[in-house]
Amino acid sequence: MTHQEMQELYEFYALGLLEEGERAEIDEHLRTGCAACQSGVRRAKVTNAAILSFAPDVAPPKRLRKRVLAGFGVERVAWGWIAGWATLTAGLLLGTLWFATDANRVRSDLAAAREQAVRASSEAARVQTVLDFLNAPETRQVTFGRGEQQQPPRGSVFVNPKSGVLLIASNLPALGEGKTFEMWLIPKGGAPRPAGLFKSDPGGKATHIAPGAIDPSTSAVAISVEPEAGSSAPTTTPIMVTSIASAP
Amino acid sequence: MTHWLMFSVVFPILAAALSFRDDSDLVARLKRRDPDAMSELYNRYGRMMYSLILRIVRNDAVAEDLVQETFLRVWNRVHGFDQDRGALGPWVLTVARNRAIDYLRSVQGRDLESPLEAERMENPSLFLNLETDILNIDRMRRLKTAFEKLTPNQRTVIELAYYEGLSQTEMSEHLKQPLGTVKTWVRTALKLLREELEEQQVVA
Repeated sequence: MTHQEMQELYEFYALGLLEEGERAEIDEHLRTGCAACQSGVRRAKVTNAAILSFAPDVAPPKRLRKRVLAGFGVERVAWGWIAGWATLTAGLLLGTLWFATDANRVRSDLAAAREQAVRASSEAARVQTVLDFLNAPETRQVTFGRGEQQQPPRGSVFVNPKSGVLLIASNLPALGEGKTFEMWLIPKGGAPRPAGLFKSDPGGKATHIAPGAIDPSTSAVAISVEPEAGSSAPTTTPIMVTSIASAP
Repeated sequence: MTHWLMFSVVFPILAAALSFRDDSDLVARLKRRDPDAMSELYNRYGRMMYSLILRIVRNDAVAEDLVQETFLRVWNRVHGFDQDRGALGPWVLTVARNRAIDYLRSVQGRDLESPLEAERMENPSLFLNLETDILNIDRMRRLKTAFEKLTPNQRTVIELAYYEGLSQTEMSEHLKQPLGTVKTWVRTALKLLREELEEQQVVA
């Protein structure tokens, strides 16, 4: 391809729509550091954004906001009540301590109480999301890592065709600097699809949810160690692969 | 301010996509896993994502599922996003489009090679230093006019690419037209749109 022919394809290149040969040729050219072409690709991304924005404007249903945010533990919990109780608790604490200690001490304890209340409410939201998932009648469980010889991750994968996949794992290996765990959903005969990044606690335990309806062809769940930004396909040998096709 | 309000009325989706002024703070909060940041992300981009995805999949229920999936993808990948140099709007649009195109491909039984390539192109590290400031209201209006003035064939191939995820070879099969003809339509359409932005940049 000539330089100009390449420049004419940058919008399609940025959309991932080029044939393999054309894409490889442009990739190789960009790696040479051609400033004009790198700028052309950046410009193509802006052009693409503009063209995509010409989609007719449609207001989403109000329930969608609640649904999306509930998946992240936001809006599911009655924050007003929690905030109210936290304020009341903090107020009582303030009242009790006011007469017994000096003002600085009170302020310090109050701040700590508030911080604890916020942490507790955040954790409560997360736990509520997990409990909802586990209590759903269509959720099925698959255990992994039991009875194996080495020190593999152990735990369960909970599969809900409408709500997604919940992973509860222990014995996860320590992550190196700049690394993260990535979950994958593997369709039968297809390539693994990314299902979210997560990290474990210092004891090697982790809980991770990939919300959303599951492709019916999904037959396995896997975990691999990836760079912190995540990968579009596994770059290391998975540390866990479990079939979910025969989940009871 | 009036200018921005007018922009919001004429291009409501892009107005959301281009509200980059505060995005660096939003990205920083998302990276810190601040739950309220998700709420703000939805306020800023939820409608834009839904409109784009609905245009592609043409099914309300599916669009809702895919919006949720898009937010998950953004949440999980925002670590790799450079809050100082990255353009959140174009990235979010790309992620939303890819989820919708991926869905279309799966229900239509189309091959998986292209979506994987599209997924590679949505890596947040590829959305640095974009000149999003070229998309002001005048330029967008002229670009939209240019888009609407495309010939039916040119417009068809652009829509098949952006909203159906078809490569030029796939368009050729879909439209039952020679590949060379399709390539000419694509090249001419993109040239007209690209020149509109470039010309405007020179004029500005």
